Amino acid sequence: MPSPLLELRAIAKSFGGARALRGVDFDLAAGEVHALVGENGAGKSTLVRIIAGAHAPDGGTVAIAGRAVGKFDPAAAHALGIACIYQQPALFPDLTVAENLGLRLESGSPWQRVDWAGRRRRAGEWLARIGARLDPEREIRTLSMPEQQLVEIACAVGAGARVVIMDEPTASLTRQEQDLLYGVVRDLRRQGIGVIYISHRLEEVLALADRVTVLRDGESVGTFRAGAISEPELIRLMVGREMDLIPSGGQPSAGAVLLSLRNLGCAASGVHEVSLEVRRGEILGLAGLVGAGRTELARIVFGLTPATAGEIVFDGERLRLRSPAEAIARGIAYVPEDRRRHGVVLEMPVEENITLALHRRLFPGSWLRRGAERSLALEYLRDLAVKCPGPAAPAGSLSGGNQQKISLARWLATRPRLLILDEPTQGVDVGAKRELHRLIRRLAAEGLAVLLISSDLPEVIGLCDRIGVMRGGTLAAVLPGKSDPHDVMAVALGQAKGAAA
Amino acid sequence: MSRYAREISVAGAFALLLAVLAVFAPGFYQPQPLLSLATREAPTLLVACGMALVIISRQIDISVGSQFSVCGVCVGLLAGMQWPVIALLPAAVGLGALLGAVNGLLIAGLGLPSIVVTLAMMVTLRQGLNLVRQGKFVDLPEGFQWFGLPQATGQWLLVLGALAVVLGFAVALRYLAAGRFVYAIGSDAEAARLAGIRPRLGTFWVLIGLGALTGLAALMNVVQSPQVQPLAGSGLELKVIAAVVVGGVAISGGRGNLGGVLAGVLLLATISPALTHLRVEAYWEKAIQGAIVLLAVLAESARRRWAPR
Amino acid sequence: MKPPSRDWPALLLRHEMLLVYVLLAEWLFFYFAGTTTNRRGVLIGFGTLDRQFDILRHSCEIGLLALALTPVILTGGIDLSVGSILGFCAIFLGLLWRDCGLPLPLAAACTLAMGVVAGGLNAVLIAALRLPPLIVTLGTYSLFRGLAEAITRGAITYTDFPAGFLFLGQERWLGLPAQAWLFALVALVVWLLVHRTTFGRSFRVIGFSPEGARYAGLPVERRLALGYLLAGGIAALAAIIYTARLGQAKADAGLGYELFAITAVVLGGTSIFGGTGTVHGTLLGVATIAVLKNGLACLPLVMRLNAAEELAGLLTGALLLLALAAGVLPRIRPFRRASRRPVDSTHPPAVPP
Repeated sequence: MPSPLLELRAIAKSFGGARALRGVDFDLAAGEVHALVGENGAGKSTLVRIIAGAHAPDGGTVAIAGRAVGKFDPAAAHALGIACIYQQPALFPDLTVAENLGLRLESGSPWQRVDWAGRRRRAGEWLARIGARLDPEREIRTLSMPEQQLVEIACAVGAGARVVIMDEPTASLTRQEQDLLYGVVRDLRRQGIGVIYISHRLEEVLALADRVTVLRDGESVGTFRAGAISEPELIRLMVGREMDLIPSGGQPSAGAVLLSLRNLGCAASGVHEVSLEVRRGEILGLAGLVGAGRTELARIVFGLTPATAGEIVFDGERLRLRSPAEAIARGIAYVPEDRRRHGVVLEMPVEENITLALHRRLFPGSWLRRGAERSLALEYLRDLAVKCPGPAAPAGSLSGGNQQKISLARWLATRPRLLILDEPTQGVDVGAKRELHRLIRRLAAEGLAVLLISSDLPEVIGLCDRIGVMRGGTLAAVLPGKSDPHDVMAVALGQAKGAAA
Repeated sequence: MSRYAREISVAGAFALLLAVLAVFAPGFYQPQPLLSLATREAPTLLVACGMALVIISRQIDISVGSQFSVCGVCVGLLAGMQWPVIALLPAAVGLGALLGAVNGLLIAGLGLPSIVVTLAMMVTLRQGLNLVRQGKFVDLPEGFQWFGLPQATGQWLLVLGALAVVLGFAVALRYLAAGRFVYAIGSDAEAARLAGIRPRLGTFWVLIGLGALTGLAALMNVVQSPQVQPLAGSGLELKVIAAVVVGGVAISGGRGNLGGVLAGVLLLATISPALTHLRVEAYWEKAIQGAIVLLAVLAESARRRWAPR
Repeated sequence: MKPPSRDWPALLLRHEMLLVYVLLAEWLFFYFAGTTTNRRGVLIGFGTLDRQFDILRHSCEIGLLALALTPVILTGGIDLSVGSILGFCAIFLGLLWRDCGLPLPLAAACTLAMGVVAGGLNAVLIAALRLPPLIVTLGTYSLFRGLAEAITRGAITYTDFPAGFLFLGQERWLGLPAQAWLFALVALVVWLLVHRTTFGRSFRVIGFSPEGARYAGLPVERRLALGYLLAGGIAALAAIIYTARLGQAKADAGLGYELFAITAVVLGGTSIFGGTGTVHGTLLGVATIAVLKNGLACLPLVMRLNAAEELAGLLTGALLLLALAAGVLPRIRPFRRASRRPVDSTHPPAVPP
């Protein structure tokens, strides 16, 4: 038996305190499509980033065609024939497809002549090889994301890649584009290229892949031949049976409806026909795959993007929000997903971060009141048990979990009536996670309406009174609180409920 | 929308201006003044060519006016020391390249923001020049003007020479791998790095190129009069940037071509004499230049907002 | 590497303290090298009170422009047109007073308004239309100077202002040059605005992270507009003082002042990328440059060469480069990746998706 194209043994990787991968084995043969499935945060992206050389593993070995990899470096990985098709292609927006391919694939001195006809021809060939019907003369800027992905794949093929990694390639494709892509993948396989295929679409995975590996919580739960396993079994493996014990306090009965969305939509962001209600004192979870439109929905409710259809009724009042300030004034708060870019301002002191949304209320007449600011900050630092050198420390010097607490403190300080949390415990260690869960429970008990966007199924199921599941930009179903995680996953994946038996 | 819509519209505006002149001020179209105009603007064209490269690579250099003055004065002094023309050409280009290299070291090497660096260089060079020369003109030796050739020949030489240089650069930008690197660096420096291009090195060379072209332009300017004015480069940077921006080179980098720059230079060069012939006072020139830059930026922004996705 | 913050006042203050040392050293140098006694034993040169007041007078206009630029640069933007707005407003003042016959106080008030309108053009293009500040203010730099030249046809000079007006620029009030009081007032207002109000804090947040500011509910466009409007208004005030000092208004008023203003701001510790910076730092920067400019003029060697202005410009340019290089080396932004775009690559403030 020839040695596998790619062989990973006992791969371990941690980021800060959190363990992303623990002892994962994975291998890929030439001419094979090997799919990688698992929930958000199960470790798939980390694994492929190690393969692509973006990270070095903390433990374990990686071998390509039998030879161990010593240096983890994107350029080295590229030289070894590994190509990764990212969600965000690294293309030149102002240049044409042909030129992009030319710049990436041509080697030689800067002083050689550019053969435009040759470039066009070669680009056409590579595109044809993968079955993409794109005009090589189009500027990348004018291409849609899936089209750009095709260019990246053509680039990989042109570079003579032996391993092509595709991360959620069909996430936003039309039926036609999907079929095209499947054809491309089969073509690659025929050419002896090994494909690592990450996807949430289990039906597609089973149809396309030769083998499937399931990751859960950083561990490999098993590798199976695609023909030998069914979708429900895959779901069961992905979700597992153990659940983190979330302290369950008494379930307070929810109060009156605070937020009501009716057929809400925003053409630009793909959200359409979302209708749901959130009551006072209730924690409504919003589950779904990445790209299902949860964050986009939150942005509409918070006033960051305008709604183009439907309406938002808040406390009986129809809202037409044009800016976050208007939402905040009504009592809506949004703790964003991207902590470092949107949640806190890294360079500013903790206390200034906490009061950033409070200027109108805390500082009447626009005069800063340092004393009031400091005591407010200290109060929240204490309440949320934030570990930091002091209220004047820059937010960037805190750990991820503590930064998240600061981000939360900022919004709690506005005394909101509706709190939207977007992946609040992502990248947060277990201890801080529990604290945050307790806090969210407490807030709901005090009468706050909470909309919890989360990809952490145990968290969603443990905390929430009801669970909305989004898929493809709309609300697919609203499930009751202690639902079976398989049911949630099934709806998120687009399966009929109850098929997971 | 055609890829060259912007350049075509500039050319169109130029044609329109020419038409207006033909109707209202036919006196504009006389061979000798036109040739003189073209000769006077030849240096501007050269500097605009270099500036276009810099802006395409997503930088800017507002010290070109001072570089121009310094090179001009030095060339004049060397001419006064009886240096032959053969030696003056590399001297001018070399000096300009040297000044460009200083910018390059600060901007590409240290990563300092180009606007502030070149702002400082602009004043440092100009004041340094004033310090040394006290504003004195440099008298050029007899027979130096027009390289000792008859005026018309000299003028044609300069005009065609400038066009040839620009053509050369245009060809290089299109057909030389290094030329395409300039676009890559300006379009997305990170992607360029991943593709094996070195953005900082590219930026360094582009700034040197602008300096070299400025030196050459200074030489071309010097041979047009019997004296070298130390203030000759004043306001050049604005004029050149305006021409480049009007000509379709995007300030955000990565796009534009020298054909558009040529059209931009022609358009702006014609405005001043057009104003004269149309009996508008010349004092409006700076204001019109500024307004043109603003309009060009607005147009670029509109194009981006409503471009086909 | 220890990040700068209020918990480590030593680090932040250290930059300003360095500047204080430089200023002191400078001042002492010029005092000893530039002060002599004339034949009658009277002190002349740098060390005299007259000279010091001259320095104060001359630094008011550039100081005002530097104050005007500080909030703008804090937001991560830039305004190259402040010198041209000064020139334009000076001409406007002369026009209103002499050609339209308005009483001076009214003309001055209208000039201030015109300054705000000029800043308003920048504000509309940059804050509302999201055009890159660099190229916009490069255009308005040309536009306003051009308007000044067009109005005066390059030749007209407005002179013969009444003595009451000239008092502002040439006489003393309560022991100090009159305009110094005005400058102090503006300095105080700007300092309070930047350091004691939510506006100032908004400027910083926008400079550090325009998207983060939006997500926190800050009115980003309004704050940016405020910066440019204020800059225009202060430039107009500088124009009034300039005219009063020189007793005349010409189209080249304030030509080249933007360099000195930007140098003062950067010297004072304000990052050209936005976010960090102080008004007192800017004031120290202004003082450093003013002492340099005027001190040079007192040195006997320089006087003999008649090269004061040139040397001042030369050294100021070199000083700016040094300050930039020194600012970059310690990496003032320890938390972000170096991919943050500097103001000169002319990107508009990041637009959230």
